[in-house]
Amino acid sequence: MKHFMRMVVKVWIYFYCICLWRFLKFILRKLTGRCELQRICYKNKPGAGRTLKIESSLKSSKSKLLQNAPAAHPDAIEKTIEDILTLKKVNLDTNPQLAVSLQACLLQIVGYRNLTVEIEKLRREAFDSEDPQHEEMLLKLWKALKPNVPLEARISKQWCEIGFQGDDPKTDFRGMGLLGLYNLVYFAEKDPTSALQILSDSLQPKSRDANKEEFSKMSKTEWEMKKFDKAIGYSFAIVGINITDLAYNLLISGALKTHLYNVAPEAPTLHHFQQTFCFLMHEFHKFWIEEDPLDIMEFNRVRNKFHKHILKQLQNTDMALCPHFAASESLINL
Amino acid sequence: MAVAVNRHGGPGRMEGSGRQSRTGPGGAVKVLECGVCEDVFSLQGDKVPRLLLCGHTVCHDCLTRLPLHGRAIRCPFDRQATELGDSGVWGLKKNFALLELLERLQNGASSQCSTVEEAMGGSGESIVRCDEDEAHVASVYCTVCATHLCADCSLNTHSTKTLAKHRRVPLADKPYEKTLCSQHQVHAIEFVCLEDGCQPSPLMCCVCKEYGKHQGHKHAVLESEASQIRASILDMAHCIRTFTEEISEYSRKLTGIVQQIEGGEQIVEDGIGMAHTEHVPGTAENARSCVRAYFSDLHETLCRQEEMALSVVDAHVREQLMWLRQQQENMTILLSEVSTACLHCEKALQQDDCRVVLAKQEITRLLETLQKQQQQFTDLADHIQLDSSIPVTFTKDNRVHIGPKMEIRVVTLGLDGAGKTTILFKLKQDEFMQPIPTIGFNVETVEYKNLKFTIWDVGGKHKLRPLWKHYYLNTQAVVFVIDSSHRERVTEAHSELSKLLTEKELRDALLLIFANKQDVTGALSVEEMTELLSLHKLCCGRSWYIQGCDARSGMGLYDGLDWLSRQLVAAGVLDVA
Repeated sequence: MKHFMRMVVKVWIYFYCICLWRFLKFILRKLTGRCELQRICYKNKPGAGRTLKIESSLKSSKSKLLQNAPAAHPDAIEKTIEDILTLKKVNLDTNPQLAVSLQACLLQIVGYRNLTVEIEKLRREAFDSEDPQHEEMLLKLWKALKPNVPLEARISKQWCEIGFQGDDPKTDFRGMGLLGLYNLVYFAEKDPTSALQILSDSLQPKSRDANKEEFSKMSKTEWEMKKFDKAIGYSFAIVGINITDLAYNLLISGALKTHLYNVAPEAPTLHHFQQTFCFLMHEFHKFWIEEDPLDIMEFNRVRNKFHKHILKQLQNTDMALCPHFAASESLINL
Repeated sequence: MAVAVNRHGGPGRMEGSGRQSRTGPGGAVKVLECGVCEDVFSLQGDKVPRLLLCGHTVCHDCLTRLPLHGRAIRCPFDRQATELGDSGVWGLKKNFALLELLERLQNGASSQCSTVEEAMGGSGESIVRCDEDEAHVASVYCTVCATHLCADCSLNTHSTKTLAKHRRVPLADKPYEKTLCSQHQVHAIEFVCLEDGCQPSPLMCCVCKEYGKHQGHKHAVLESEASQIRASILDMAHCIRTFTEEISEYSRKLTGIVQQIEGGEQIVEDGIGMAHTEHVPGTAENARSCVRAYFSDLHETLCRQEEMALSVVDAHVREQLMWLRQQQENMTILLSEVSTACLHCEKALQQDDCRVVLAKQEITRLLETLQKQQQQFTDLADHIQLDSSIPVTFTKDNRVHIGPKMEIRVVTLGLDGAGKTTILFKLKQDEFMQPIPTIGFNVETVEYKNLKFTIWDVGGKHKLRPLWKHYYLNTQAVVFVIDSSHRERVTEAHSELSKLLTEKELRDALLLIFANKQDVTGALSVEEMTELLSLHKLCCGRSWYIQGCDARSGMGLYDGLDWLSRQLVAAGVLDVA
């Protein structure tokens, strides 16, 4: 009964807010002579803050045209903008900036939606050994990560060296599909130095216990046990796939909007996503070393902590997951 | 020895002798009687006298009728207990002294009353008296005079020249007497009829043969026939001898086995050659001690388990009570606080206006705290169900579990890509998803029936396998997942599984094998998998089960959990919930 009452109160407050919000909007409109979109565009500088506000404003609008704007086709955006401006009775000549800002925002919003669809498609596409293109990508990954070592066979234990689980990487792509492979290849090709660094770090036993006094104290077997345990760093490739999952979840949940609206001046593309992946990979590596987990079994704990950490960062609308490494130099310039 | 026995068997014998005097010289044989049934003791059979531990002698028959007190019987004369062996009354020693006496008395009596009878009948067959003098024993036989003679008489009677020519042979070589034909008294029987019809009376003399009733019948000479029969009898005797030997051999064996079963004193020669008696335990004793050891062990384990279970219950009760007491205390404090606040309010009410105004601040503060406490109280009451029941369930290994759900720790293992995480999430959320490779582990709780499975899903990657062992502790069940669509990796799975089964911590853990991906065409069937992994050999001596399943549709997953719960929970508990 109590819960029911609480719910009734909540629903009532919700409706009340909407009506009140509408009423407030109406008053403001009358007072300033500007519609809400105008107010947002003038008040905020370009970036995630503005785009997010425009997005929520469009979503809660009672006009069908505004509600459907985020679902518009990229090519039809200019037409949509015109429609909106006529609907809102805004004079283009007095407000030349509005159309430009609105277009940029709408492009971002639409771009994000399309990126989500594109990524989902890539993720759903399973790795197919029959497809020469897929195979070529895989071999490219090997070449980028192990430039000096030739691959002996397509199915070989060597794959374990770059952190796949078995002799055939195919099985490891089950959850993330081609997306995982694309991300890994992008990372290895666009930012080879940090990729190789992370790879070699992941293969190293941790150096934490490696001071000489302890060696002498430990008996030989104990040392070997320890060495064996410590040698299990995390595995580059499947960690990459896990981080892809993380990035994918961030994208689907909409958390990445902040970042993408900030870094992409117009529609965000796959490249932006892949750059984000590179950054996450980099950050995660740093995070892992800082966390200094006992062994690989703590991976999920570290990963969840990292996820929360990133989410917290993304709550700040001015925040771009600003990557300070090679792949993102173009982003910073923008 | 005999003296000692006589002394021990005093009362019985005394009574017996008393009886003897009463019955008089006529019943001289009936000297010794059983003190219970008053029947005369016999050398064997039911009336054999047997000795009790206290020294009294009672006949076998009466002993068998005495009531058993556990494994002992009480002496009917002085109530002393005598322990019986495995063979019961049969195992009690016979009173040999009494038996000897009995025998001697019997012999004495018979020699007194019936010397003549004995000479005529009893020993007549073996001893041939001399025909000249009854007192002599014959040793030779005169074939001419047809008399039995002793050596002296033979010399005396055959002293004349003619008589001395008589052929005398030792008694053993005495020729058989010729029997005369019953119909033709003058003729001796010389032939035997061979006709079937004459078998009842086959003997005939020459007259019977030529003219009598056996005329024209087939016949044989009596002597040859007789010797034939003798030969066959000898043969038979020989056979019988071997047969008796066999029987006696067998009975000897029986005695040996009885002895082996009963055990007892045995003379053993030790290292230096000194013989001494030693108690050798019989097989019966061994078996009994074996049973005793087993059950005492079981008893001990049960006691220990009971103690542990009780301690768990005690701890639970203590904790619960402590918490409840704490709550009680809190409530009392709260009550007192509230009543103090009420008192304050009442006091304020009665004061004059100025003071009321002055007290306003204090009163508001009080009311605020009161409200806060009320809020806390309602929150608390919302969250906690007051329940006095202590639901108890038992696991198969007799551990007690308190609470509505029984918790079970399960570890899911298998090669990478076998579908461990998929199965876990299918069980948890009933949705199929393609997971990413597990790094480290996932852990979820799945509730099923009245069980709460805590499932640890550990990554199957090569490098992670050495780390599996960290998850073995306190694990009640291992779920091993195998990809049945991937024939090439079955060998690898087999080697991992066999490694797993040698782990000490998993010795008592249940093993559930999921043959996953049954939906893929060309997947190995459960039978093929069992064969390929040689599970019967591999999992010998532990409880294991293989279940075909398919994580996509969830087919078979709950059957596996069913099996696990049946194995883990003591019978009947599942129905309680």
